[in-house]
Amino acid sequence: MKCLEIADVTYRYDGSTEAVLKGVSAVFEKGKVYTIIGQSGAGKSTLLSLISGLDTCKEGEVYYNGKKLRNLDRDEYRSKSIGVIFQGYNLLLNSTAVYNITLSMNISESDIKDKKAQKEIAYALLEKVGIDRETADRKILQLSGGEQQRVGIARALSHDPDVIIADEPTGNLDEATEASVLEILTRLAHEENKCVIIVTHSENVTAIADEVIGIRAGKLLIGEKV
Amino acid sequence: MYVFEHALLNLGKNKGRNILLGIMLFAVIASAVIALSIFNATDSIIENARIEFNTMIQIRPQRRQMGGNDNGASTVTLEDLHRFADSDYLSGVQIGVGGGFARGNETVFYLRSPELLYAFEAEMREKGLPDDWAVFRDESSYRRMIAPIENLQDISLTFLIVVMLFGAAIMILLSVIAIRERKYEIGVLRAMGMKKNKVVLCLWVETIVITFVCFVFGIIVGTVLSNPVAGALWTGEGQINIALNGITALQILGASLLLATITGAVSVSRITKYEPIKILMERN
Ligand SMILES: Nc1ncnc2c1ncn2[C@@H]1O[C@H](COP(=O)(O)OP(=O)(O)O)[C@@H](O)[C@H]1O
Ligand SMILES: [Mg+2]
Repeated sequence: MKCLEIADVTYRYDGSTEAVLKGVSAVFEKGKVYTIIGQSGAGKSTLLSLISGLDTCKEGEVYYNGKKLRNLDRDEYRSKSIGVIFQGYNLLLNSTAVYNITLSMNISESDIKDKKAQKEIAYALLEKVGIDRETADRKILQLSGGEQQRVGIARALSHDPDVIIADEPTGNLDEATEASVLEILTRLAHEENKCVIIVTHSENVTAIADEVIGIRAGKLLIGEKV
Repeated sequence: MYVFEHALLNLGKNKGRNILLGIMLFAVIASAVIALSIFNATDSIIENARIEFNTMIQIRPQRRQMGGNDNGASTVTLEDLHRFADSDYLSGVQIGVGGGFARGNETVFYLRSPELLYAFEAEMREKGLPDDWAVFRDESSYRRMIAPIENLQDISLTFLIVVMLFGAAIMILLSVIAIRERKYEIGVLRAMGMKKNKVVLCLWVETIVITFVCFVFGIIVGTVLSNPVAGALWTGEGQINIALNGITALQILGASLLLATITGAVSVSRITKYEPIKILMERN
């Protein structure tokens, strides 16, 4: 089922002459894992920021469930419909891992209001990505890059979004953790019918993809490896 | 609501900055309490003195242009004074008598209220107060009486204005610094989908809590210090008694919340300027 669509999107950063994306189009469906590949600076993160409603394009449209993203409440879209795993993690550094998760649940107006219950869910989510309780109670600043990345993954899943967008989610993980994170992401797509979009450099990640999208010279190369 | 919880947690997380902000605010509030207490106390002293003075009426023979003495002026007898004193406009009278003679110029009539002066004068003229006698209020002794109080009032008002301006400047500066420091955090919250108004509410709650704590301590310390400070500045006779009243406390609270809100407004204007992606990209 069609979930996200980008149609003829051209994107240029303020002050630069060359467009990063030049009239690109693509369709993303539920139940599938997509990987986006391309050289550094090709525009992968830019594409994700448009899909995740962090930025809007001046030319072309992004559609979510058939509605133009520019007309939706993008705060609500970000907090409820999509989960983003950022390349730079973007966690609250002075807060504990578990607080980062419960805050995300609260922002998305989760049905679970009881604080204890929220915390239990957060611990369980963190445990799934390999963060034990003791680590979960530490501040983000006191965690390694790999641990922060896993907290970022858990946070993106915390509000049960339809779409999961990940920018190099396994870049800081060892092979074993990478495998378990990929297993989680594939299961979310194939068993829970989520749309999973992953930007990656890793062969291991492209291997699990249902579809691979390359970016080169501002164009999307759908179904091609670059 | 989670926004309030988040704001309270943040207070603990930014201790250094909040303590600095708190100390500044506390000093501003305590100083404002002192200044405003003194101002209000002097204000009511002046007001009472004015009412009292305005009801005290005297009469005296007009000085002649030449000679400079009262010789030749008409006389006012004791009987006249008693007739003048028998008036509905008066609440009391002190008739001047010396050596068995009436002393018109030492007599004080107390009006029931200040604006009855002209009616009372007209009545006395009708009852036979000669035209070369003047009816007057003793302006110069009034001036002498309130000069030190007015002096104290001027000092306290100037001090109050300086303190408030200084306080506002510091608060705005600190909040601009705080926003810059916390830009990343704001970007993260916005990227997670927290709405702008909630982010602003969060920052505002933090400021209000700090303001309120500082208000409580500022009121206590300011009240304790206002009497010694007033004593040190007081050049008049006797002692001046300063007490903080409820109105003053409310004025201070209002001013503090206003300061906090001005600060908040500065934050709002800054936050709404940044889109989350811009903030986060600056860092990555
Ligand atoms: N804020 C920005 N302003 C101007 N140019 C930018 C900005 N962010 C990224 N770029 C440029 O846009 C291109 C694509 O960047 P990005 O999407 O981050 O690439 P990728 O994620 O594929 O490495 C790069 O050439 C980069 O230098
Ligand atoms: Mg990138």
